[in-house]
Amino acid sequence: MRGPRATVERLDQPSAYFNSRNKRRRFDSKDQRDGDDDTNMQNDQPEEDPLKDATTLYVGNLSFYTTEEQVYELFSKCGEIKRLVMGLDRFNKTPCGFCFVEYYTHQDALDCMKYIGGTKLDERIIRTDLDPGFTEGRQYGRGKSGGQVRDEYREDFDEGRGGLGRAIQPPPRARERETRDYDDDFGRLK
Amino acid sequence: MADYDRRGSGGGGSSYNPKKRRYRDDDDHDRRGPRRRFDAPPHVRVRKQLVAIAENPMRPWHEEVQAIATLFTDNWDDELLRGNFVDLVLQLAVEQPLKTPFVAAVVLLANAARPQVVDMLLAKLAALVEDKIAAGEWREVKLYLKLLGCLQGCLEGEGVFPVLEELFARAVDLQTASSEDTIGTEIVKIILLTLPYVMVAAPGQWAQKAADLMEKTEIIAAEPHTLQTLIEPFQPGADEENPPQPQSLIGLLQSQLQNEANNGWALSCLPRPWELPLEEVEQRTKLDDAAKHALPTITIPQTVVAGPRPLFPEIYFSVYANQDVESVPPLANVAACLIRDALLDTINVLHFNRNITARHLIDLDCYFSPRTFAARATPFDKLRDIEPPKSTWKPEDVAVDAVFSQLFQLPTPEQKLVYYHSVLTEACKLAPAAIAPSLGRAIRYLYRNTPRLDLELSSRFMDWFAHHLSNFGFTWKWTEWVDDVYLSDAHPRKAFIAGALDKEIRLSFAQRIKNTLPDPYKELISPEKDKDVPNFKFADDNTPFAAEGREIAGLLKRKADDEEIDAVIQRIQSQAIDREIDALVASTDVFVTCVLHVGSKSLSHVLAAIERTKDRLADAGAASDAARGQIISATMAYWSAHPGVALSIIEKLLNYSILTPETVITWALVGRAGNTRGEALSVAHVYEMVFNTVIKVTGRVRQLVVKPSSVEEETDEAAAETRDREIKAMRALFAAIEDALASWATGSKDEMIEASEGAGDSEGEKLVRKWGERWLRVFRRRAAIEEAFLAEAEKERARKAQAQEEGARNGGVEGEAEVQGLATQMDTEGEVA
Repeated sequence: MRGPRATVERLDQPSAYFNSRNKRRRFDSKDQRDGDDDTNMQNDQPEEDPLKDATTLYVGNLSFYTTEEQVYELFSKCGEIKRLVMGLDRFNKTPCGFCFVEYYTHQDALDCMKYIGGTKLDERIIRTDLDPGFTEGRQYGRGKSGGQVRDEYREDFDEGRGGLGRAIQPPPRARERETRDYDDDFGRLK
Repeated sequence: MADYDRRGSGGGGSSYNPKKRRYRDDDDHDRRGPRRRFDAPPHVRVRKQLVAIAENPMRPWHEEVQAIATLFTDNWDDELLRGNFVDLVLQLAVEQPLKTPFVAAVVLLANAARPQVVDMLLAKLAALVEDKIAAGEWREVKLYLKLLGCLQGCLEGEGVFPVLEELFARAVDLQTASSEDTIGTEIVKIILLTLPYVMVAAPGQWAQKAADLMEKTEIIAAEPHTLQTLIEPFQPGADEENPPQPQSLIGLLQSQLQNEANNGWALSCLPRPWELPLEEVEQRTKLDDAAKHALPTITIPQTVVAGPRPLFPEIYFSVYANQDVESVPPLANVAACLIRDALLDTINVLHFNRNITARHLIDLDCYFSPRTFAARATPFDKLRDIEPPKSTWKPEDVAVDAVFSQLFQLPTPEQKLVYYHSVLTEACKLAPAAIAPSLGRAIRYLYRNTPRLDLELSSRFMDWFAHHLSNFGFTWKWTEWVDDVYLSDAHPRKAFIAGALDKEIRLSFAQRIKNTLPDPYKELISPEKDKDVPNFKFADDNTPFAAEGREIAGLLKRKADDEEIDAVIQRIQSQAIDREIDALVASTDVFVTCVLHVGSKSLSHVLAAIERTKDRLADAGAASDAARGQIISATMAYWSAHPGVALSIIEKLLNYSILTPETVITWALVGRAGNTRGEALSVAHVYEMVFNTVIKVTGRVRQLVVKPSSVEEETDEAAAETRDREIKAMRALFAAIEDALASWATGSKDEMIEASEGAGDSEGEKLVRKWGERWLRVFRRRAAIEEAFLAEAEKERARKAQAQEEGARNGGVEGEAEVQGLATQMDTEGEVA
């Protein structure tokens, strides 16, 4: 895409995760990340890079307690945010640890990959990945119990993400911070 | 974090890896496992070794460069290797500039066995220098010249000097034509920074030539640039202490190089990896007798251009100035500028991998001559015990200083500010014990000097500080500033504390931040901050229009028809008229507060609420200036405990054009400042609000100005009209800011005169006047920069038009392509700003 291979690796490339999923989903459309919707990813035009002009980022490993305002505060450092979609538990409609951040420009999204991915928000290292764009439905977790798949069978205790995996143990009591309840359609933009 | 840790340290071939996941530690071992051993082909090995050159401090330089040179020349017949080698050398020069002398040493040694390689390299290098000069890509020009300078020893005749002299001739022309020229300044900087590399590459030969050149540059370097006062990091005329005189970079370089010339060009910090130990007699003779090469002609166009990045004169900035022990090179020593220059290039070039940037910063002592620095991680207090001839320069301080010089660069650094934040974060993660104390001393210096720091920089400091702490568990030794908690709110240091705590809370939450603070600070965080959702003032019957407020909130919640809301608004307005208050203001306050309340759950909720009511909000705002101002008042009041949320909302209201930029300026600098007798000027979020608004306006103007002109004449005219209108509006905005601030800065504001009862000299008023001065300086600079940008764009348009004309005359095709190229360049510039 830009001349010879750099002598130093770039951080604004899609992750191995995206690439492998992207390759695989051509054969198996059911196997996808939480919140992914692959309707626009079918193999009609496999040559076109869906991330060429991407302005959206998938943001993962958030705490369930991290608010939109916190995400705004941090991610605005790379440019004005056009839209923010919090990832929600399919059943409870409470945040389940991921979101989509959309910028106005591709450059802002790349800068976010370089400068914010892998740094901390709310004292957790977050991950960012370029994303072809949010589509309705992807805001929900795809795990059996409503959250993200990775939180189903997690064996390490992660306080910010509801303790142990939900398939292993019921969620512990609520803490000093409450997760927000998004269970009304007021805040949803079409 | 996943990928960030799993990614290896770069470089290397893409060898097959049987393991599914790789971790950083793997790089230390053989990835392929014990059974699959094979020697990679030479071009792979040369690449790998050249890319990693000088990284290993245990390996003597002369051994390493010889090994690579031998591997290369032994496999000379490998065509792939030959071509790749030259390209890689050129690539490394601009991608990893700290390694240039080492890469050059490999070339010099290779020259002894295969002189053709230098001819191949010089052909490409000369062409690149020429291209980059033509395109105005001055940093690349500098980096390629640095490589060329390091090769001076194998060049025929005067080598690089004729190029430097011709460049200088252009600089003189430019500077004579205009005192505001910045290209000439940049060229002189490049000449002065290339010279030392030439002098170490060919020691003892060029002293006279250098003296002649420096005699010429003196005229330009010694004269302070007219723009310099605009970009100095400290507020001029600050009376406290005696601030160090801001140093123009080229002025400083000129005098440092003069010192060095008087010292026989010792240049003791620069590495000389091409110098072989005495016992290697044979190799040394070979090197001395190696072929000399003619440098292909480098043509420099008669008119040089500013290129894609706006140029400004530079100031040398250090957060470790005036310490009792020198932990960074002193200003008189050329090492200060040479090391800084190499680090800045590294930092700004490697924006796409902050981990590697941090690595280079931590390892910086690998790239300069031995004994330039004290041992890594030597505590500052231990520097005192170091015996004189040994260096007391702390590599960590030098590294941190370089990053801060960018963070505090005016008008703007090359990359987004958050990049420099992330570099410091990574450096701190890589070597916490070494870097953290250096950061601590930098923070203390900046905090102490907050009152006289340029306000824009002060705000950057606050933003970085809060962001940095958020990456490290919010730990800071707050106890040492505890006395300042009792200062008046308008004191710059107290204002810093308040602003920094607010920023910390925005990234976290109030209770968490409270837990990190000593008791006296906790008072600064009001209990309201613990609430996620603010109180709805109309829930209290004592609030005027309480019933109506509750009614509207209810209607909004159930998405009632406009008519129903209209009825209540009418009622409020007629009641207001009875009470002899501004009816439009009253109804706007109720309505906006209700919209905010209904959307209080999150930003998406409030944005949805605004989206739904935007017509009514726009009408309310359009009704009168006072009503429009009330939209901001209501927002700031409702979210008073969380100003960050209020600011986000105001930004969106600007996007909807419900608010205008003037509303924001007037609200802040006349309304709010007036109501608080000017104290609002000390509040960080008020500054942030005005600053963001101005950036939004100037960003839009820039976008319009650089928009490539369209094909059709008519739309062209329409575009020009929009552009002129927006430019006019921007100028009016700056005038309004100037107007409002000038009276605060001079103390002639009515509110100040009234309050002072004649004396006008109380502590509080002095503080307000100072805030006024600091604000004024920021926005005057902004205005000047935008004017400079417009002037430059105007020139560019003229040049384009001319090129188009010429293109048409010459059959069109060539000129067209050129115009296209310029347009893309301008586009990227707009993005950066």
